[in-house]
Amino acid sequence: MLEKTGVPTETQIDSAFPNETRLNEGPVAVIECFQPIPCNPCAMACPRQAILPFADINDVPVMDNDKCNGCGLCVMKCPGLAIIVVDINWSETKALIKLPYEFRPLPQKGQILHALDREGHPIANAEVINVIVPANKTPVISIAVDKDLIKKVRNICIPEDNDSIVCRCSDITVADIQSFIAQGYTSVDELKRITRLGMGACQGRTCIPLVMRELSTALKKPISELTSGTHRPIVKSMKLGDVAAYGGKS
Amino acid sequence: MRISEHPILDLKRSSPVKFTFDGTEISAFDNETIAVALHAAGIRTLSHSVNKHRPRGLYCAIGNCSSCVMIVDGEANVKTCITLVQDGMVVESQKGKGNLQ
Amino acid sequence: MINIDLLVVGAGPAGLSAAIKAGNAGASVLVLERSHQLGGQLVKQTHMFFGSEKQYATHRGFEISDILLAELDKMENVTIQPHATVLAAYDDGIWTAEIEGQYQKIKPSAVVVATGASEKSLLFPGNDLPGIYGAGAVQTLMNQYGVKPANRVVMLGAGNIGLIVSYQLMQAGVEVIAVVEGSPTIGGYLVHASKLRRMGVPIFTSHTIKNAKGANTNGLESVTLWKLDENWQGISGSEFTYHVDALCIAVGLSPLSELLWQIGCKMTFSAPMGGYIPYRDKYMRTSQKGIYIAGDVGGVEEASSAMVSGQLAGISAAEYLGFEMPNMAAMKQDCLNQLASLRQGPKGAHIRAGIRQAEVSFE
Repeated sequence: MLEKTGVPTETQIDSAFPNETRLNEGPVAVIECFQPIPCNPCAMACPRQAILPFADINDVPVMDNDKCNGCGLCVMKCPGLAIIVVDINWSETKALIKLPYEFRPLPQKGQILHALDREGHPIANAEVINVIVPANKTPVISIAVDKDLIKKVRNICIPEDNDSIVCRCSDITVADIQSFIAQGYTSVDELKRITRLGMGACQGRTCIPLVMRELSTALKKPISELTSGTHRPIVKSMKLGDVAAYGGKS
Repeated sequence: MRISEHPILDLKRSSPVKFTFDGTEISAFDNETIAVALHAAGIRTLSHSVNKHRPRGLYCAIGNCSSCVMIVDGEANVKTCITLVQDGMVVESQKGKGNLQ
Repeated sequence: MINIDLLVVGAGPAGLSAAIKAGNAGASVLVLERSHQLGGQLVKQTHMFFGSEKQYATHRGFEISDILLAELDKMENVTIQPHATVLAAYDDGIWTAEIEGQYQKIKPSAVVVATGASEKSLLFPGNDLPGIYGAGAVQTLMNQYGVKPANRVVMLGAGNIGLIVSYQLMQAGVEVIAVVEGSPTIGGYLVHASKLRRMGVPIFTSHTIKNAKGANTNGLESVTLWKLDENWQGISGSEFTYHVDALCIAVGLSPLSELLWQIGCKMTFSAPMGGYIPYRDKYMRTSQKGIYIAGDVGGVEEASSAMVSGQLAGISAAEYLGFEMPNMAAMKQDCLNQLASLRQGPKGAHIRAGIRQAEVSFE
């Protein structure tokens, strides 16, 4: 439980979220402040009084979800960094989460990050949609994540450049591959054309299985549903001279 | 090691100065304490205890304890955590209780 | 001999707040501060403060220090003296101090003691190795001087200081391996704990340090932790070891009350308030006439309470000295109301108990 672990329980998280109807109506703040402490800036920050005024400074914040428009002012004003904004209908497939992030380097718009859960475990990739750096130095980062993850994602981390080599022939790292997949190169053939992987001396023997695993993870598809790409001749390298010599004989 | 970028703080360094620690030249800034400058240079054993000669480093950093006393410009028992560095200062490790000048 | 209406010992949040109020009332005030830097522990606090607007909530600690100092800068009757260590208080009302290397005697008509608190230590083999710091020391290194204290750290203590400093270490680029807490539950605000957890830092409650090891030249190299049973005894076989280059100790603070003892203030021991604290009336007067307290020396609390208790002590001392302000009674009541509300929640229960024990009325 929270007092022992620092991680809110599922019940607590559920209680912080508005109901599905409200979630579907548009962006809304979610406040994970479960312990009465002497602190009231969130209620003072809200220009719409969607966080109900406190009778006592030790009150736990209570939301009027209908008044909240998800502006996120409270996100940057909460000293406990306990507030996020969730917009479940941001796009067809993705939800938008605005969260506070007080570390350097700052993420960049368009960057692909790890989305972390409440224990700091990476659970998905997330694209950075916006970065706001207010004067008070608590930046608010907007990220797009799969809709089914809105109650799981609570933090981000910038992935270390993973320089594990996927393609030995052309020196292509797993970070390169992940970045191209995120940009929409979602088959072995597409990745081959953009990176030259599989076109070196080994002809894909080392790299293709690794690339398929990366594709499978990123696209959440079993490997059996992917193809290993087109296998053009020749399947092993040979000397051009041998070809030329053959031509000479005929 | 000095922090180059911080999410909250605007770290302003003032004028660079140099001092010596047991004969080795150390670069610092003139708004730093001796102990901080040594720490930034990777030196964290600042003293040895008087009786058992155990190594000691920065502990409280605000002049409450005895862990950081050194000989500064010939003066023993200087609390280096609250003494600002000056250009040309001579800082030495102290053995034992130190002597009166 | 320096003659002055009010001597304030310490230029932290409590002392500065007291000086502002007494200065506003018209008293001549001398604030003596041991450090070369004014603001006390505020200058190392990079997090947004809790509380309400009146206690500068959402401002960061170092900004609050600037706000208080800017206000004092406008007052000609208030002098703030850094590099000034108060040394003793004598029966005849003389106080002595070393001010910029000079021994000085001071004869104040009233005193606000705002000396704050010092960090408690902990017993374990290897506890004096270089690389083992009080949590305040790493804050000084990284937040005041911009020096990275270490690469890999274990934090002892999950009170607010342990949790906040762990987070600040991460902001300085230090890897925090774990936070270790002897109690079965986290003592600090849970929002601080959640911030660390979602950065991937484990918090081990019912655990403590067994020993620390290191080489003579390099200092700390590893710490061994173990689980505690219900009687706070280490469970053999539960040990695990981390290779770290620093360990931070954040196991509470103890009021710095030596001067109060010297001057003959009646004291009482309060474990929840951190140690010996002076009996005081609700307006911060001690058992000695003209001697007031402000901030952690009266019992360890948050900086927000320290500022309010400082204001209250400043007003009370000015009133004792015969200075008048139009709404003195209302101002004192406002301070009392703020203190009551800051202490009112469940996290204030131990503070309320300490105050109940120490609050009396004189005459």
